[in-house]
Amino acid sequence: MLKILIPTVMLVVTTWNVRAKWLWPATLTHSLLISMLSLTWFAHTSETGWKSLNSYMATDLISTPLLVLSCWLLPIMILASQNHLSQEPANRQRTYISLLISLQIFLILAFSSTEIVLFFLMFEATLIPTLMIITRWGSQAERLNAGTYFLFYTLAGSLPLLVSILYIQTCAGTTSLLILHYAPALPMTSFADKLLWAGCLLAFLVKMPLYGIHLWLPKAHVEAPIAGSMVLAAVLLKLGGYGMMRIMVILEPLTKELCYPFIILALWGVIMTGSICLRQTDLKSLIAYSSVGHMGLVAAAILIQTPWSFTGALILMIAHGLTSSALFCLANTNYERTHSRTMLLARGLQAIFPLMASWWFLASLANLALPPLPNLMGELMIVTSLFNWSWFTLLLTGAGTLITAGYSLYMFLMTQRGPLPVHILGLEPSHSREHLLLTLHLLPLLLLIMKPELIWGWAI
Amino acid sequence: MNPYVLAILLFGLGLGTTITFASSHLTTAWMGLEINTLAILPLMAQHHHPRAVEATTKYFLTQATAAAMLLFATTTNAWITGQWDIQQITHPLPMTMLPLALALKIGLAPLHAWLPEVLQGLDLTTGLILSTWQKLAPFALLLQIPPHNPNMLIILGLTSTLVGGWGGLNQTQLRKILAISSIAHLGWMILVLQFSPSLTLLTLILYFAMTFSTFVVFKINKSTNINSLATSWAKTPALTAIIPLVLLSLGGLPPLSGFMPKWLILQELVAQGLLPTATITAFSALFSLYFYLRLSYAMTLTISPNTPMGLTPWRLHTHQSTLPLAVCTMTTIALLPLTPLSITLFTP
Repeated sequence: MLKILIPTVMLVVTTWNVRAKWLWPATLTHSLLISMLSLTWFAHTSETGWKSLNSYMATDLISTPLLVLSCWLLPIMILASQNHLSQEPANRQRTYISLLISLQIFLILAFSSTEIVLFFLMFEATLIPTLMIITRWGSQAERLNAGTYFLFYTLAGSLPLLVSILYIQTCAGTTSLLILHYAPALPMTSFADKLLWAGCLLAFLVKMPLYGIHLWLPKAHVEAPIAGSMVLAAVLLKLGGYGMMRIMVILEPLTKELCYPFIILALWGVIMTGSICLRQTDLKSLIAYSSVGHMGLVAAAILIQTPWSFTGALILMIAHGLTSSALFCLANTNYERTHSRTMLLARGLQAIFPLMASWWFLASLANLALPPLPNLMGELMIVTSLFNWSWFTLLLTGAGTLITAGYSLYMFLMTQRGPLPVHILGLEPSHSREHLLLTLHLLPLLLLIMKPELIWGWAI
Repeated sequence: MNPYVLAILLFGLGLGTTITFASSHLTTAWMGLEINTLAILPLMAQHHHPRAVEATTKYFLTQATAAAMLLFATTTNAWITGQWDIQQITHPLPMTMLPLALALKIGLAPLHAWLPEVLQGLDLTTGLILSTWQKLAPFALLLQIPPHNPNMLIILGLTSTLVGGWGGLNQTQLRKILAISSIAHLGWMILVLQFSPSLTLLTLILYFAMTFSTFVVFKINKSTNINSLATSWAKTPALTAIIPLVLLSLGGLPPLSGFMPKWLILQELVAQGLLPTATITAFSALFSLYFYLRLSYAMTLTISPNTPMGLTPWRLHTHQSTLPLAVCTMTTIALLPLTPLSITLFTP
């Protein structure tokens, strides 16, 4: 564990000490090396389920895929930010990269923590670098409002979580996951225990986000620069899912009755956000709302707590992380050329960017969950387990899948197909950096078709 | 100010607090508080500006009232119990009056109305002394008085945190914002006073570090309202980059050290079974966070190449020694991993 964490911390030192000419190559190479090292976490040979165990950190079958995804994300964030930061002075570039690396450190500590309090601390700690990235390096005036929404929605959910965690510590004597998962259940009989249940889960539901409390997400995703959108979509939303998976074990047996309104909200959110996507004019906003829809499925799956649903949720989290980040990168290639996110202004781009169009094609297919991609595996397992829980959900999930396919196709056709608008006189050709960026997103997704056991979580 | 007069006044300030710290007799403690009040009055009025004189007068009247109430509670206790020891106060009347008198002295809600107006009339250095040094002596007394009415302290604390949140939402003057943040932090300190006085002391010391950093940064920028913060990137770029962390630490965000007292206080409240209190207090911190966030937006997160908020000022040399600022800033940002050490340091 420290083999990865300490090099990541030292990467901040590297950022501030290399010459300005070598800043981007050096940080990219070193973060790629660290992410290669992180792949060793996939070797699961432990009998207890926990691996690389020390007093504060360990990896588990469900935290490993998310950890590897976080480590993988740092080099591609650095790759994606290179162009739009090239105009800034060197110290600002270093500050930006340090913010990305500090996010990485907090994420590694969050996903590998064995104490719930440490997880909470790191969960909250990711807010500050993300806030700085959104409000300082975003491009429109609305970014301040986006930062405020982001910070206060998440904090309003996580303050009851803090009180609930401290209450669990007072009652059970510990907040260590190693103990709590096997400890006798807390007596949960009064109304206050229902509030405890809600307090524990609200923070993660806001983070996922659940449909009714999702307003921060379109703002934050749209206003953030590309690295901010990538890390938000790929990993920070999954913090909510991971937290829910960890803490729901302690909250039995209240979940059987109390989960109903949240499952309904989540599934209704799939349909609603899908319909909103069909009416969007802003490309990043479309991808942001599609994130809400996919994570609604994940939220519903985690709330019903069956083996297939947990596995499906984890697969969908990883696959959606890669897909959504790829879509944001593609939208950013448009934005860097036209400085506009309006879909109408950049259409028919297949005529001038053919290879980029094939990446758009692959990413859109992944978004609509085409077999044999892992997106389908996750969605199918979730839909099946929800059907087993209640046949009625099939109406919602089926319609949701249909609408998802609809807006993914809409997005692809709007941006790539059709005639090139007459006002597009000249756009910069695609950089190899951009092709590399998308390959690094889509290649792991395709390779996961071969070995999905890596992201199955506890179902192995 | 004449350096000899300044020396006498600062010595008086130090003497007053030390007398209160070292006293076990209530009259000696009261004497120390009075010396503090009298010593700071000329410092507050030194600029002879009408606003400063008004602030001095308001400060004098409120502190004199509080001192009179304290003296009354002391003599009542001496009359009823026959002794003057601070830690042996047993009768309910002085046990209720003393915390209220001290609450008026430090500016806890609902006895807080004087603090924003007084701080607004002062220059930043005297304001710093008022916010930090003048709180030490009353807290020395508060920490020693055995608590009688648990509900009173909790109501004082809750009201203060809520006033500290709502009061600052409409402010643009920095000194009023700092006064209101002082009320909020004092509320947190009072909440846990009866359960764990060492946590109160820890919160107080950390609050000193955070407030010191903020006041000194405002002094370096010579700014007294939010608009004038917008040019600090031209004066001190490195400090401008660090200030959002200091302000968010004041707001209590992890992983900064401002989260430490809030976390430990919430833990103590939950352990005592006061979960609704803990939740309301935690939410009140969100209100304060809003105006700290607004300050960090104005100062750092809107600098160029975005549209600049003001004209670039002259970069004149400031005669501010920065070593204390560096120490306090690092304490404000990086102390959270040392939480166990901090708890041990303050536990008797």
